[in-house]
Amino acid sequence: MTHPSFAVTRRRLLQGGLATGLSLIPGLPHVAYAAGGAAPAAVTGAETLVVVFLRGGADTLNLVAPVDDPDYRAARPPELRVAEDGPAAGVRLAQSLAPGVDFRLHPEAAPLAELYQGGTLAIIHAAGLSDGTRSHFVAQDLMERGVGGEAELSRVGTGWAARWLAENGVSGVGAMSAASNTPAALMGYGSALAVADLRSGLAPPGGAQAADVLAGLFRGADGPYASAARSALSGLSTIDGQLPRLPDGKVAPYAAEGGAVYEETEAGRGLQTVARLLKMDIGLRLAWVDVGGWDTHEHQPGRFSNAVRQLSRALAAFYADSHRDHGRVTMVVLSEFGRRLRGNKSQGTDHGHGGAMLALGGRVAGGRMLGQWPGLASHQLDRGVDLAVTTDYRAVLAELVGASVFPNWSARRLGVLA
Amino acid sequence: MDDSFSTRALTRLTFGPKPGEAEALRRTGLPRWLDEQLSPADGQDEACQRSLDACRLRIKYGAGDGWTAVEEMRPLASLTKPIDDLWPLSDGKKPFAGPERQFPRLEVTAATLIRAVHSRWQLREVLVDFWHNHFNVNAGEQAVAAALPSYDRDVIRRHALGNFREFLEAVGGSGAMLVYLNNRSSRAGSANENYARELFELHGLGRDAYLNALYNKWREVPGAQAGNPAGYIDQDVYEAARAFTGWAVEDGAGLGGEQRLPATGRFVYVESWHDNYQKRVLGREFDPFQAPMDDGKRVLSLVADHPATALHLCRKLCARLLSDDPPDSLVKAAAQVWTENRRKPDQIRRVVRAIALSREFADHQASKVKRPLELVASFARATAVDFTATNGLIGELDGSGQRLFGCPPPTGYPDRNEAWLGAAAIRRRWTLLLGLAENWWKTGPLDTGLPFPGPVTAQAATDGWQRALHGAAPDPAVTQAILIGMKLDPAATLTPGAKDGDAKLRRLAAYVAMAPRFQAR
Repeated sequence: MTHPSFAVTRRRLLQGGLATGLSLIPGLPHVAYAAGGAAPAAVTGAETLVVVFLRGGADTLNLVAPVDDPDYRAARPPELRVAEDGPAAGVRLAQSLAPGVDFRLHPEAAPLAELYQGGTLAIIHAAGLSDGTRSHFVAQDLMERGVGGEAELSRVGTGWAARWLAENGVSGVGAMSAASNTPAALMGYGSALAVADLRSGLAPPGGAQAADVLAGLFRGADGPYASAARSALSGLSTIDGQLPRLPDGKVAPYAAEGGAVYEETEAGRGLQTVARLLKMDIGLRLAWVDVGGWDTHEHQPGRFSNAVRQLSRALAAFYADSHRDHGRVTMVVLSEFGRRLRGNKSQGTDHGHGGAMLALGGRVAGGRMLGQWPGLASHQLDRGVDLAVTTDYRAVLAELVGASVFPNWSARRLGVLA
Repeated sequence: MDDSFSTRALTRLTFGPKPGEAEALRRTGLPRWLDEQLSPADGQDEACQRSLDACRLRIKYGAGDGWTAVEEMRPLASLTKPIDDLWPLSDGKKPFAGPERQFPRLEVTAATLIRAVHSRWQLREVLVDFWHNHFNVNAGEQAVAAALPSYDRDVIRRHALGNFREFLEAVGGSGAMLVYLNNRSSRAGSANENYARELFELHGLGRDAYLNALYNKWREVPGAQAGNPAGYIDQDVYEAARAFTGWAVEDGAGLGGEQRLPATGRFVYVESWHDNYQKRVLGREFDPFQAPMDDGKRVLSLVADHPATALHLCRKLCARLLSDDPPDSLVKAAAQVWTENRRKPDQIRRVVRAIALSREFADHQASKVKRPLELVASFARATAVDFTATNGLIGELDGSGQRLFGCPPPTGYPDRNEAWLGAAAIRRRWTLLLGLAENWWKTGPLDTGLPFPGPVTAQAATDGWQRALHGAAPDPAVTQAILIGMKLDPAATLTPGAKDGDAKLRRLAAYVAMAPRFQAR
């Protein structure tokens, strides 16, 4: 057990009379709290969490594929599934999830296969929402708010990531998204920094004079813009001040470590920004990276291969680059749903249900597939058409951020972390 | 009606008031102003047309396989071209450099900026922006880029103030949407569900009417057996997808044997791709073997007539024209106008008029953060700059989080404040304003002589810009923050036309626009 030993719940701390100034206690901000309740479960989670959200519904049946399952082979033409043999054969995964099924990673996910074999990548298959929605936007909302069904959306006005950060007393630049805005998972956090790219610095335009004017303009002003502008000014200058400069004042190019090479892709750019911020020691606890391009209703073979290649390379680059932080950083990769088992006639797949989630990090009990494999025979499918969900997505996240982040919900332990 | 009301009305019904417009609206009165704005005549927008004609965009690329190097300034010639002329750009086998294939998106983006600033038919421009987001397509895809000028002109602009049912059919039959949501490749047997799903969820009934988590079978949906279901479930999506099979684009696709479709980008209905058997959509039975396209048209009518569609669309319109969470009373009243006029050719016009003349609209205070397009256009309008769109400005706007016609998900850009307040996005807002004020991208020099005919003190200039940009009396705290930050003596004299005077006066304009009062509408 290498994780911190602060296995104590917030509730118990509060009961112990330590309510005031909780977040000021040295050492405690790195604790994740378990759910209160009958069993005093001693769950400790991620110290810093990097979430990669695959927007559009990734066809994970074509990423982590049961290649010799006759139902899988019957439902899909060869170009929509992973091959058992030949030049584009998938990479076989040693697993005990479904003995007798030959699970393979998509050939373009070879960098992920290495991480899996190295014991730092775990795959949770047939995971997702228990709610039956096939709408991107409903499903994303549910997964970002951290709830189980639409009825709860009106009662839970914040995102799960924001609630986790609040439980841990994190504020300011402790959370960021590598995009132009912050995800719904951070709704309620207030000051999450949305920065896609650090390469040209983050100082406001107009030099020191503009910075002075802007600080004066927003001092004491209210309204959503003024308060966002205030926290943007302070967050941007915190980070800008730490960016190494060349003699001419320009931001020095980023030197990745561990032989990492980031490509010019959405995933590559985003994860490079996250890696750079992690190393600045600004107290980053949560980073969010959106990766689009997974809504493959049409022409899936080429598009999906590209998307998998870009994602796999970016994850591998980030993992190599952040090698000094493997003990504290955990990544989770998820999508709002998987796709239909059967292909359509556009060489694509329509919205489905269950999918695979990935967890990656030095503390992840990797090299394993977790969850429960429901099978792909007609009677085993959700509504007769889609991979069933046997592991609620919150079961995976709860092991990283604590179950108390998810209202009215509890689950048995999966064992994502060692 | 006072000037404050007319300023507030104009910030929401236009891309922001130009000097003197608030006063003019106060004299005209809102009902007459709306009558005029809601009956736009294209021939009567000469200044805007001159700006469109004068605009030139740079295109530059090196020689490649099948083409020679190009570097030139081009007019917005695609705007009037039929889709047939542009469709070859979508063919990956034809020798076109990447910038050629993307050029139509640049042209439509430039035209959108120019119209937002110069068109006298401002309310139509606001609604065109609304509908482009409602019926979003992503021109990052080559075939969508080729179809974009026609989509903007023949679909969105033509129907922006018209009838929603007709609008739906124009969108559903457009090359841009058929490509973007893949219906062109949908075939009987295993239909592509992409368009059908978004037709229900985004274009029509809305996600509040998606009842899939509650009901597994169509007959369980309340009202379904009487033909009036409260909402839709996946079974409706599957059936609607079957109804639209055969709605396609002349894109050269094979028809079997030696036959192929021509490659023009125009709509085509391919009978042999259509699933002709019986269907059930929203509780209604469709008999097998209907006349060509009738299945799809009937789905569009069911969607257009559904009460959930009226509420969904009216809530969105009110969210655009008032606030993120508009009052329910207004949404319901607008939905009633929507429903009563659903067979009228000017249905949308009537609904917009009802919203704009409502008590809720009159009582409303500015609460919406301007999106980057609105920020740019309102600054150019308030400062009366002789504005043109340039590659540089479009590049900066693309990085602001609002890359026009380049939003990947079919939702279009979000219309809520929180989506526009990320730290990097806010920094981009400041860059846009400073760049416009200082003419970084050659969009047009800011004429400081317009608001200030002669030398002014720094204090008077800061106050003057606030009157021009905020449409309100100067706020001493804003004046002070700017003058202190700039280390300017309030009594210092700034001379318009002089180099140093102009530099300071332009900076002042940008800073005044960065203040909260200019950022909301």
